[in-house]
Amino acid sequence: MGYDTMAHDASSPSAARDAKKKRGNRSAKLKQSKLDVRREQWLSQVKDGKEVKAVVSPGAAAGANSGSPILASPHPPLPRRRAEIRTREGEPEDYKEDSVGASQDVGSSDHESPLHSPVSYNPSVACLQQKHCSGNGGGRSFSSGSSAWSSSRSVTDSDDDTGGSPENDDDGVLDDWEAVADALSVDDNHNHQDPVPAAPPVVPASCPEPANAATRQGPIKSSTRAWSPDDAFRPQSLPSLSKQASFPASMGNCWVAMGIASAQKGVPSKPISCPICYEDLDPTDSSFLPCPCGFHLCLFCHKRILEADGRCPACRKQYISASSGGETVGSEREIGNLRLSHITGLMFQAAHQLKPRVL
Amino acid sequence: MVDVSRVQKELTECNRDREVSGVSIALHDGSTISHLTGTIAGPLGTPYEGGTFVIDIRLPGGYPFEPPKMQFITKVWHPNISSQNGAICLDILKDQWSPALTLKTALLSLQALLSAPAPDDPQDAVVAQQYLRDYSTFSATARYWTEAFAKSSSTGMEEKVQKLVEMGFPEDMVRSILKSVNGDENMALEKLCSG
Repeated sequence: MGYDTMAHDASSPSAARDAKKKRGNRSAKLKQSKLDVRREQWLSQVKDGKEVKAVVSPGAAAGANSGSPILASPHPPLPRRRAEIRTREGEPEDYKEDSVGASQDVGSSDHESPLHSPVSYNPSVACLQQKHCSGNGGGRSFSSGSSAWSSSRSVTDSDDDTGGSPENDDDGVLDDWEAVADALSVDDNHNHQDPVPAAPPVVPASCPEPANAATRQGPIKSSTRAWSPDDAFRPQSLPSLSKQASFPASMGNCWVAMGIASAQKGVPSKPISCPICYEDLDPTDSSFLPCPCGFHLCLFCHKRILEADGRCPACRKQYISASSGGETVGSEREIGNLRLSHITGLMFQAAHQLKPRVL
Repeated sequence: MVDVSRVQKELTECNRDREVSGVSIALHDGSTISHLTGTIAGPLGTPYEGGTFVIDIRLPGGYPFEPPKMQFITKVWHPNISSQNGAICLDILKDQWSPALTLKTALLSLQALLSAPAPDDPQDAVVAQQYLRDYSTFSATARYWTEAFAKSSSTGMEEKVQKLVEMGFPEDMVRSILKSVNGDENMALEKLCSG
């Protein structure tokens, strides 16, 4: 059949593949084509705008019936949904029975029925194509058609039982969804597999738990909670929960320890309140560093000290006033002395804060 | 005027760990915050071990920019503490005071001074001499003074008061005289009899 080749040309390879499967149950396809015609009628009723073209369609349908290859050639890769339509009209018995409906259908398909009409002559191919259409979801309009189809189908369920093609069609849809689902699941798997190795670096982050839990729980439906430490299926690449739990804490401890250490070393950390008057330091006070030793105090206390002896409370060295700080050498020497006196002052303080020992 | 908020915070902070640090501060009479009483525990391993030493603290108006005035109420045998009036020779209570220091650190410094006398810069020359020439005698004397004044004066004061009151002396007079002689029962009795 020349039309066969045409159909193959017009249809995508996948359609051809499907065609091989479905070849055989022609009677079923006939029924299906009838159903399709009905569906197309539904569709055409829905689409008012296309009705106009339905008038034109008879001619096209005729052309399709004639199956002139010439028509087909101009638009070789026509949308498959048209092909489906053609199928129905193309089927001889179908055509006889529902010629009007078929022509309407062709018209409703607006763009081109002619080309595909040749295809329609081979019922199996038509069926395939239809399946193909539905399967690939060739067009939005078609998907609506499929819904119409399913509605009509519900009415004619008994037919469907015998007819393989409707089922196939249905399968096609299902396959499609399955394919989508597969794709999704593949994605999920990717997502799932990726995060697992990626999890360890993420874990140290401040709040890794929620993210990890989400990625884990999403894809893996069976386990709705995080891996338990003794889970046999637990990926080895996952860090141990104890580590996860302990890490931030240890970090916190680390910081605390560092703070304590710095306090013990006498390294001046930024105080919240003035160590002289115990009043809260405001931002200006916090950024106020009158002495190289880094001792913070509020401006009021600093002023008060300047009015008296003007020595830094921490290192006991004279504050370097703006007026006297002109000479670089002198100030450097002073800073050196400051450091020394600061250290000795700290030692002094430490010595006096230490509990006395056995003499 | 004394920085009241700072002093109150100092008192709270100092008394929070009094068991650990061995120093505590209390208001002297509750009427003014510028007159306080500090106590320090005698350092372990020294002649002052086991004693509780009471220190009178007076805060000048310029505190904390001026050093607190501290004086031992409890009699102490120490080169840097007057055996007569309890005056203390310690640089941080004089020219080396810093507003960054606190009453607690000052008391801790006194505690350190008890365990590390500086006889080369004495307050009490006699004690310093003894410390340098005859340490064993110094140690024995210091231990005796601790036993006599740093323990009994704080713990057995009520007993002494009761004893002297039972002898027929008025309680308020007994208390004042006992305080003036630093809890020395015999001296108090002598004064009461003579007075």
